[in-house]
Order: sequence, then structure tokens, then C-alpha cells
Amino acid sequence: MTAPRTVVAAAGLAIAFLALPVVGLLQRAPWAGLGSLLGRPAVADALMLSLLVSVVAAGVILVLGTPLAWVLARVDIPGRRLLRALVVLPMVLPPVVGGTALLFALGRRGLVGQWLDAWFGLTLPFTTAGAVVAATFVAMPFYVVAVEGALRSGDDHLEQMAGTLGARPLTVLRRITLPRLLPAIGAGLALAWARALGEFGATITFAGNLPGRTQTLPLATFLALETDPEAALALSLVMLAVSLAVLVPLRDRWLPSR
Amino acid sequence: MTTPALALAGATRRNGFILEVDLTMAVGETIAILGPNGAGKTTLLRLVAGLERLESGSLRLAGRTVDDGASAAAPHRRPIGWVPQDRLVFDHLTVAANVGFSPRATPERTAALTDALDLTGLVNRPVGECSGGQAQRVAVARALAADPTVLLLDEPSAALDVESRHLIHRALAADGKPATLLVTHDPVEAATLADRIVILEDGRVTQEGTPAEIRVRPDTRYAASLTGLNFVDAYARGTMATTDAGTGVVLAEPTAGPVHVVIPPSAVALHTTRPEGSPRNVWQATVTELRPAFDRVRVALDGPLPLVAEVTPDAVDRLGLRPGSSVWAAVKATEVTAHAA
Repeated sequence: MTAPRTVVAAAGLAIAFLALPVVGLLQRAPWAGLGSLLGRPAVADALMLSLLVSVVAAGVILVLGTPLAWVLARVDIPGRRLLRALVVLPMVLPPVVGGTALLFALGRRGLVGQWLDAWFGLTLPFTTAGAVVAATFVAMPFYVVAVEGALRSGDDHLEQMAGTLGARPLTVLRRITLPRLLPAIGAGLALAWARALGEFGATITFAGNLPGRTQTLPLATFLALETDPEAALALSLVMLAVSLAVLVPLRDRWLPSR
Repeated sequence: MTTPALALAGATRRNGFILEVDLTMAVGETIAILGPNGAGKTTLLRLVAGLERLESGSLRLAGRTVDDGASAAAPHRRPIGWVPQDRLVFDHLTVAANVGFSPRATPERTAALTDALDLTGLVNRPVGECSGGQAQRVAVARALAADPTVLLLDEPSAALDVESRHLIHRALAADGKPATLLVTHDPVEAATLADRIVILEDGRVTQEGTPAEIRVRPDTRYAASLTGLNFVDAYARGTMATTDAGTGVVLAEPTAGPVHVVIPPSAVALHTTRPEGSPRNVWQATVTELRPAFDRVRVALDGPLPLVAEVTPDAVDRLGLRPGSSVWAAVKATEVTAHAA
């Protein structure tokens, strides 16, 4: 169908609005000095730390999020609707609120944190582990939603079939459910990882901004904006590249196109 | 008496629908389950597979109770093989991985079945790339490879190419085959493969017998429709049977009480004027439909007795039959059979 001109014009305006910041970033990018900028110790530290934090968070999300998605999709538990809402809460909760909540739950005087401190001598706030916790908290829903969606869109008839052939439930999970879920697991993990990499609010609230320990890429970028705009631009470019690399192949899976 | 492969006597309920079946299968026996849509045929197979549970009664497979209404063995603990209507092949696996999927499948068995169903050239192909007929052969081979005591087949050759149908039928008739419960819509397939036919209507068995018995003495309108016979319930006094609608049918042999009256379509003769002479049953009727059937034409008639007549295309031309035509239908008393209901 032919679209009315006003609609096309409005859509064009929206595209311009979304694309403009990216163009602004690209036109100011210090292309020539990019290599040396990213090689600076402070920048390199933030890069390495971000990589570490986001990869560990992705690992935790994979191990805990997969069973959660499976339970939400396949197990008929009371209050499942409420549970589903709770699971995606971090997606809409302002990250600063998430970080504050984490502080009151897992901080040294927090609900659970005081016991972690007393029993195991474990303190999460202002540590790299704390940064992982913050990243996991905000990124887990992206993974769970992707995997749960895939599980729910298919029925469990193939699993039933495998059962009639004599396969035990764990064998069915290993040979039927998980292999068929791999694309969704990959897509969910990539999105969750990208979200973890970009995490700012919950991290700075819960884990602070300690160079080398909790100062991840977004935090370093924010700081560098004051002191070293060139470095901030270089770091922004890195994150822009990562975001595009994740989104371009996966957008259709995340938000199915026809 | 040797232990039956399957002994089921029980009932289950599903969304208000009740399935109540009493059924025993000898080792190696093939039973065809025929019935209209929604009669509970698939539910019966799922019950044996352990995908539905009994509400009361018991189900024994090879002498072992797998469901007693209170507790039920999981599907993976039952000696069964299931070929569902939608096949459910594992399309992320190759043909070989599908056929050999069951932990009970031995390499020898898997190889023999792969060969028997002509899948040898496809073993490394993902099932997702196979044709419908090939996928169906995979599903049958996979179920047989699981070495079942009872094989459950749900419309195994519906909408298949001739070659696949032939291969599947041959595998299902091979020596040492398991006891087989075959759900089908196809009376020819049932008659070819089954030792016994069980007719299931509205959750209950309405008739069971050999294909020949069902053909000669159908107990229900559905059973009669399988072979295209005209069927009507009537009450007989001597040689006159009266239908519920009040139409009289003259019989050759006197009998008494409620009867099933069966008239083969080929015994219904059509005339444009009232026939004289020997035929004892004559009704005036209107043609409602003409349908070709092989070298004949089946003519549906509306009259005192709803009938289907089978005539030659030549006769259709000669009598000028078309929907709406008024005709006389005549049936000799000797062509009418009536058996006690």
C-alpha cells in the first residue's frame, strides 16, 4: 500500500532523531588516534574489566536463566503470571533503583548481605563481584524472555515422542529440548551480554566507580567526558560497534519480523 | 493362555468426553481401530502410550500393569512404539539418529529397519530436508527400532505416495512384528493389515470382528458406511421390517425383533417408471447427488428410505439421471439382509 506523505515524513523525522546522535559520534570520532587512545592504561583497564564483568555475568545468566526460563514456560506453578512479571521487572526498573535495591539486599548491612559478610566474609558492594551482580541483575531478563519465548512458542510434543521411545527425562532435555533451543539461547545470551556490557546505573550505585575494580566502560566513558573527551569518544565507538554487531543479526529474533 | 500383549479395561475422561474401552490384544496381533472423527481413537493410543491416564480400570502391557487408575508408568517405562499422525520426527537430527534414537534400539535392529524402509541412502540427511513420505518412513522405522511389544500407529499412511505406503505396509506385515494398534480412516488399509477390526464411536466400542464379519454384518450406520452399504435400523415381524420412519422393507427370511437392515448399493435398481414383476421392494425417490466411483456411479436417493444406488454410467445416461430427477428404486427381497440388533 502507499503510505500517506505525512506518515512517511513523521517516520523520517523519527529515523533522523534516532540516527543523529550516532552520526554526531562518528563525525567527531578520533579515527587516526583510535589505536593509541584505546591502548592507554586507564582505557585498556576499563575495556578488560568490562569484558570480564560482562562475560562472567553472561555465564551466570546462562546457568541460572536457562532453568528459570524452562520453569516459567513448562511448569505449572501457582502465581506464574506474577513470577513472570517479577522476572522482567529489571527491564523497566530504572537501573539506579535496581542498584539501590541491590545495596539494601546485598550490601554489608543489607537483608542478605549482612549474613554473607558475617558467615563468609563476603562483601559485594564496591567489588568486581558486585559489578557482576549488578550486570547480571539488569541483563538476566533479556535472556530469560528470549529463551522462555522460544520454549513457549513450541509445544512439548517432540519431548513426548522421545519419552515413548524410552528416553529418560534428562536424556530428552539433552537430546531434544536443549539442541532445539540453541538458537534462542545464543540470541538471548548475545542480547544479555550486550546489556551487561552497557550497564551503568546499577553498577555505579551498587559497585561504585573504582578504576580497575568496578569502573567499567560506560563508567569510564562518563568520567572521561569531563577530562578527556577524545577517550570518551573512542570508548563510545567501541560500545557502538558492539551494540550494532549484536543487534543487526539478532533483531529479527528478538522482535520477530514477518 | 499366553500373556496378552495388551489388556485394557477402563475409562478416561477429557473435557467432558468419556472414553471407555475393553480391549485385549494377543502377541503379534494387528487390530485396526476405525471410527468417525472425535470418536476417541487418538486418545486411545495416547492412553496406551502413557500420554493420557486412566481414571478407572487398568492397563497391562505384556502382563505388567502400567496404569491402574491411581498411578501410571511414565511413557519411557512402557514397551511401546508410537507413530503419531503428525509424525513428530526430530528434524534437528539426521535420519540415522532418528531411527536409532531409542535407548532400546540395537545397531542390528536399526540397520535392518533402515534397509527395510529404504532409508539407507538418506542416513546422513537431516530429517528436516526429507519429503513427507520419507519422514513417515523414518517415524515408522524409529518406532519399530524401539522394539515395542505394542506398536501404536495413528493414520500411518494417510496422504502418502504409493511407494512409501507400500514400504510401510510391508514393514508392518513382516515376521516377528509387534502387536499393532492401527488407527485408520481407510477401510481398505484396515482390511489389508488387520486381523481384527474394532469400531470406536463416541468413546465406546460399537463393534468388533474380522474384516469379513464387519463387511457382512455391520452393527452401526458407521460400520456399514465403511463398505458403502445402505444401513437402517428396523423392527421385524415375519418377512416385514418397519423402519423408525415407518417404511416397510420386505425380507426374504422371516425374523422377529429389532434388526439391522443392510442393502448393498449394487442391489438397488433404478427405473423411470414403476417396475412390474419380481422386485418386492419399490420406493419412489428423488436423486440428490451423483458421484463417480471407479467404473460405477453412486446415486444418492432421498425417499421413504434414504438409499445409495450403484449403477453404470451407461444407466445414468439412459435414465437421464441428474440431481432432482424422480426415479423408482427397486430391491429384491433376496438382496436385503437383516441381522438381529
